[in-house]
Amino acid sequence: MTGFLRGVNPLAKMFGPLPVMAAVFLTEDLRVLAAFTLGTLVLLLVGALPGWRTSLALVLGVPVGVAVVAVSFGLWVDPAAVADTRTVLAFGPVELTRGGLAVGLVTGLRLAALVLLAMVSGLTTTGPEFVRASVQHLRVPYRVGYAALASMRFVPRFGRELEVIRSAHRVRGVAGGRGPVAGARRAGGYAVPLLASGIRHAERVSLSMESRAFGAAPTRTERHPVPLRVRDGVVLLAFWSACWAVPALVHG
Amino acid sequence: MAAPAPPASVLAPATPVLSVDDVGVRHHGHDGLPVATASPAGTTFEVARGEAVLLLGPSGSGKSTLALATNGLVPHVVPATLDGTVRVGGLDTRAHDVPHLARHVAMVFQDPDAQVVTGSVLDEVCFGPENLGVPVAEVEARAEDALRRVGLWERRADDPGRLSGGGRQRLAVACALAMHAPLLVLDEPTANLDPAGTEELYDVLRDVLAAGDRAVLLVEHDLDAAVELLDRVVVLDAAGRVAFDGPVREVLTQHADALVALGVCLPVALVAALRLRATGTPIDPLPLTPDELGHALRAQADAGVLPPARPEGLSARPEGSQAYPRTDQDAAPASRPDRARDLARDGAPDGAPDRTTVDCITVDRLTLKRGRTTVLHDLSLRVAPGELVAVVGANGAGKSTLLQAVAGVVRPPRGRVRVAGLDPARADARTLSERVGYVFQNPEHQLVTGSVADELAHGLRIRGVDEAEVAARVEDLLVRFDLVRQRDLHPFLLSGGQKRRLSVGTATVCRPGVLVLDEPTFGQDRARADELLGLLTALHAEGTTVVVATHDMQLVSEHATRVVVVAHGRVVADGAPAVVLGDDVLLRSAGLRRPPLARATAHLDDPAWRAVTRLADLPGALVPA
Repeated sequence: MTGFLRGVNPLAKMFGPLPVMAAVFLTEDLRVLAAFTLGTLVLLLVGALPGWRTSLALVLGVPVGVAVVAVSFGLWVDPAAVADTRTVLAFGPVELTRGGLAVGLVTGLRLAALVLLAMVSGLTTTGPEFVRASVQHLRVPYRVGYAALASMRFVPRFGRELEVIRSAHRVRGVAGGRGPVAGARRAGGYAVPLLASGIRHAERVSLSMESRAFGAAPTRTERHPVPLRVRDGVVLLAFWSACWAVPALVHG
Repeated sequence: MAAPAPPASVLAPATPVLSVDDVGVRHHGHDGLPVATASPAGTTFEVARGEAVLLLGPSGSGKSTLALATNGLVPHVVPATLDGTVRVGGLDTRAHDVPHLARHVAMVFQDPDAQVVTGSVLDEVCFGPENLGVPVAEVEARAEDALRRVGLWERRADDPGRLSGGGRQRLAVACALAMHAPLLVLDEPTANLDPAGTEELYDVLRDVLAAGDRAVLLVEHDLDAAVELLDRVVVLDAAGRVAFDGPVREVLTQHADALVALGVCLPVALVAALRLRATGTPIDPLPLTPDELGHALRAQADAGVLPPARPEGLSARPEGSQAYPRTDQDAAPASRPDRARDLARDGAPDGAPDRTTVDCITVDRLTLKRGRTTVLHDLSLRVAPGELVAVVGANGAGKSTLLQAVAGVVRPPRGRVRVAGLDPARADARTLSERVGYVFQNPEHQLVTGSVADELAHGLRIRGVDEAEVAARVEDLLVRFDLVRQRDLHPFLLSGGQKRRLSVGTATVCRPGVLVLDEPTFGQDRARADELLGLLTALHAEGTTVVVATHDMQLVSEHATRVVVVAHGRVVADGAPAVVLGDDVLLRSAGLRRPPLARATAHLDDPAWRAVTRLADLPGALVPA
């Protein structure tokens, strides 16, 4: 089961939502933001068909997240700065005003919409797909793209390595006190072995890549062409037009 | 399949796939200038189409450097000055860059982790041909053929990270095969593998050689597995010049003494046969493999001229007996540790410390999780003062976790572990590391200061030992670990063997009663491993209790007083080396293999002879290992 978004060119999924994100960032209209959030949520559920865990997390998580941000921002905002000071809820001396809640809701919905829009690409595109599309259509040199891909494999390795170094230094009795200064000194001590092994690993990987003719020619065979089709253009334009269409419909 | 490498086919058939002519390599030092001495130096040899050549030489002779020079990594990528000429398929490596030379030479490196670029087994094999611009259909055909040859086609969709070490190294061979280069160079391909992984790799290599469509140049220090695969050997001397070049059997058997003098480690079977010869047991012809030695011994036994063997630490192992559980299923969990322990007692060498005295290390039904996976299952183990215990097992069996729990590097649950009178779950790190020295697999991880001398002094200084005492002890250790000339160097600038010695030095500076080492021989050649085990044996002789995790089986049998086999987080056997290391079924079930000498003596019927797993146990052996 794959949603239709997975078949869309990664570049369309990346550059389609960007102007929408800008629109979300700029608008203060509660209803417009709610429409963007809901619309993107539905698009994700239908278009990406994430597993039931992710779907459940999205359907439950978005309202809960928005509510938490709305209430906490609503309490935090300066009551003098909001127009409507009628109290919605009171926790002892702390009062949540209608105006405060509105500001909080705007912030919560805006954050939710931004995260969901980023997930349009994030949930349906893998790193290699994005690199391939960039190399094929954006003239990103393949040496850069594939080197970046190879280096992504370093991240979990670095994490494991750091864990071992920390325990090794603890065994050596480097613990040496609490507080930020001692902490910084400890972290500095981890840096040398971590860098040394990171550099060595990177060197070895690059030897292995070069030995397999990486960089031999200006182009390389692409087993997975990522074509730009008409529907990718449609998706792109659909996202862009949503910037105007959604506010227009809401206020329609 | 089609003949490989069209570009080379235009050459006359007589053109060697590799020709090394008066080659010297000077690595560039930290100042960016070439160092004074070249290694290799003045090396000349050729590899013909389809030939299988083993490149041998002592540490530091430049074997690996030479391997890197075959496809231009030296001097194009690794900063070094190349003198002389290296030609592959007739091309001068100096005039062509590495990606271009990749059509002519394919390379497999030592570290399986550092050869993975993509996220799936199939993509990984396609990576090379794609770089060459081979059409899609052919890329896929090459990939399928290569993966089938190494037995990984069924796993093509997997992330390479999910393969075992041996699996990833087989993948690296597949990647090299897919390049369709007429020459395959392997640089110490088994150094990071456990015995099962090594066997996997050699099975693949045997098939490649049988197909006969590739010339192979193999740099390898583990001769016991490699020696029967290859037809020709090129031996470098310490300076990197070619000392011998000829058929493997001829060179190794006729020049054995000269090779030993050069610092080349011979196959164990050959060493054993030479020792037997020296003590009056004529073995002729000289064997290279364990099986050949076994047949020779068998012939001697059948003729009734084999001297009796008196292996240390064994009262004759009854034929076919199953004195200890072979697999997990054989014994109920509760009874296993006791049975194993009883056996260890029976198998203990004469004069070994009495186990009724207080144990130095006690692990009592320890279960330990890492993340969601249970790494140790209800594991029990006792170590008496003065033992040298080898903990053996395949990669991922739980050896490291067990050792780390014992030394308190990871905190075990309270009350489960007792070491040198402390519970690592409660003791503070400083007290613990004073009584229990711990050496990590990668020595760099535990180096914390800017000079060798400071590194040794560190453990004493943080404990407030006065400077005169510190200086005296550091001096003593510098001499003992042969680091006097390196005293002011930054520890990261030391060679691999020196770093390893330093890390053992830092762990022993507080004179702990227990020393725990995690795979100290990992990725090292036999000479360095022997040197290290020599140090450990000396510490052990002075009364330090040593626990060492390893999968180097011959090393274990030569030095340990006791072997504990760990598989899937459980102790599956525990006893004297002579007992445990002779049991092929048991060891295989744990992902291990018998050491070469045990494989040879398994050909005999005499229980005493079958228990000979160490060179030192050969009749009349006086020569130290």
